[in-house]
Amino acid sequence: MACFERASPSLKKILLQLYRADKPIEIDHHLHEFGSVEYHVQSSLSDPQHAYLSISTPLLSQGDLLSYGLSHYSMEMVKAISLDVVEIVQPAKEGYQLTLRLNLSKIPCGKDSMKVISEISMVQATILSSQLKEMLWTVNSEDTFQGMCKPIKLVYHPREPFYVIKQPLKIAAVFPMRFKEHSDVIIATAFLQELTDVGSSKKWAKVPPCCWAPIPPPELRGEPFEDLSTNGGFVTFDIYPRHIEGKRLDKTVWSLLNFYAYVKYHVKCTKGFIQRRMRKRLESLVETLQGPNLGEDEQTEKVQGNARCSCVGKSVRLPKFKMLKRKYGDFTRKIKKLRFRIKIHGFRRFRQRWLTIPKFSSSMGYTKLD
Amino acid sequence: MSNTLRLYLACIRNTLDAALCLQNFPCQEVERHNKPEVELKTSPELLLNPILICRNEAEKCLIETSINSLRISLKVKQADELENILTKKFLRFLSMRAEAFQVLRRKPVQGYDISFLITNYHCEEMQKHKLIDFIVQFMEDIDKEISELKMSVNTRGRLVATEFLKQFV
Repeated sequence: MACFERASPSLKKILLQLYRADKPIEIDHHLHEFGSVEYHVQSSLSDPQHAYLSISTPLLSQGDLLSYGLSHYSMEMVKAISLDVVEIVQPAKEGYQLTLRLNLSKIPCGKDSMKVISEISMVQATILSSQLKEMLWTVNSEDTFQGMCKPIKLVYHPREPFYVIKQPLKIAAVFPMRFKEHSDVIIATAFLQELTDVGSSKKWAKVPPCCWAPIPPPELRGEPFEDLSTNGGFVTFDIYPRHIEGKRLDKTVWSLLNFYAYVKYHVKCTKGFIQRRMRKRLESLVETLQGPNLGEDEQTEKVQGNARCSCVGKSVRLPKFKMLKRKYGDFTRKIKKLRFRIKIHGFRRFRQRWLTIPKFSSSMGYTKLD
Repeated sequence: MSNTLRLYLACIRNTLDAALCLQNFPCQEVERHNKPEVELKTSPELLLNPILICRNEAEKCLIETSINSLRISLKVKQADELENILTKKFLRFLSMRAEAFQVLRRKPVQGYDISFLITNYHCEEMQKHKLIDFIVQFMEDIDKEISELKMSVNTRGRLVATEFLKQFV
C-alpha cells in the first residue's frame, strides 16, 4: 500500500547501515509494512559487495494483465531506479514477487549515495505506480462495453477499491468513499465538497476536474453491490491526456494512489483540531465561572490583587487613610476568624487579657457614651 | 447580536432572575436526606410550573424550578449536519467535564443538548446575578464557538483541498 512518503524509512535505514558499515556485516532482516508489504534484506560475509532485497506487495489488480507476476513495464521501471546498482534476479525468491541484487560498490559517493539509496527504498511505490501508469495507457480493446471500456477495479486496500474507466476523450478514476463513523462521513463530505468547489474554479483549470456525488456514476452500473455500497459518496477525477504527459504522469498517478489516505488523514487531523479547540474553550469557560464562585472575603482580596478588576481602579483612587482603614478591617476580621476557630479550655481569660486589639478612635469620628 | 437573540436572552435572564429564589429544603420522603426536588419530582407541591422559552423551532430553553433547585435545559440551533456533529461533540465534551463547571449536568435532559442544575447550595456559594450572567454568556459563547468551529473546519478543508490539487500541477 502506498503512503505519502514513497521511500520506506525502515528499508532506507537498513540499506544506509549496510552502505556505511566499515566492515562487512551479515544481515537477514524481514520488514513488514502496512500489514501487507514485506521486505527481506540479506547480506552475507562471503559476498560483502552485494546485498539481496526481496519484495512482496499486493498488486493493484489481480486480472489477466498480471497473471504472470509483475509486468515487463514494471520490471523496466524498477531497473531504471539505478542501472548500475540494481539487478533483477530471476526467478524471484520463494514467497516474493521480486528479488533485486544490489551492487553496493557501484553506489556513488557523497550526496548521490543518499539519492540512490532513497530511490531503491521507493521500489514498492515504483511497482504500484508503474501498474497504474500502464492501466492509464493501455486498456484491452475487447473489454469495450456500450461504447466505453469496462471499469477496471483496482484493489488498493482490501476494503478500499477504486475504479479506472477509459472513455473516448478521458480516463475517469472513481473512488467509492467509506468511513467507519458518522462524524467522519460528515467531515469528509464537507472536505470533498470544498475539493469540488476549488477544483471547478478558474485558477485550477489545469488540474483534473473532480466531482462528488452521493450515488454511483452510471459507468459503474453492473458492478457488485457490495463494492458500490458506501456512506461517503463517490469522487470522480477526469484524467485528460494533458494530465499524463511527461513528468505529470508520475504526479497524477501518485496523487490518485494516495487519495484515500489523504482524505482519511485530513479527517483524523480535523478531529484532533476540534478536540484541541474544545479544550481551549473549556478553559476559558471555566475561568468565566470562577467569578461567581468568589465569597465576600476572597472578593475583597481579589479586588486588591487583581489589576484587571474594575474595583481595583476605584481603590487606587481612595485616599490613603481609607485604604489603611480598609486593610485594618481585613486584619481584624482575620484575627476574629482565627480566634473563634480553635477553642482551648482556659484560653478565654488569656485571650481577653492579652489578645484584645485596641480600638483607634478618631477625633472626627463618633464616640459611644457609656 | 441580532434582535431576536437579544430578546430571547433577555427573556431567559428575566425568567432566571425570578426563578432563582431557592432555599434549603430537606427531603420529605427520606429523613436526613437533602435532594434537588426538581430532579426527583416526587412532591408536586414543591414544584413550580416549567417554562419553555422558544426562539424558533430549533432553539429553545426549558426552565424547571422547585423549592431548592432549578434546572435549565438548552436546545442549540443546528443548521446542517456539520453543525449537528460539532454541537454534539462540543456539548458532550463539556458535559463529561461537568465537575469543572459545578452547575452543569452530566447528562442533558431528553430532547435537549445541554442542561444545568442549580441548587440552593450553589446560590449560597455564588452570587445570583453572576450565575445568571454566566448562563446567558454561556449560551452566547456556545453559539459563537460552534459557528467558529464550522468556519475553521471548512477553511481547513479548503486549504487541504488546495494543497492536494497542487500536486497535479
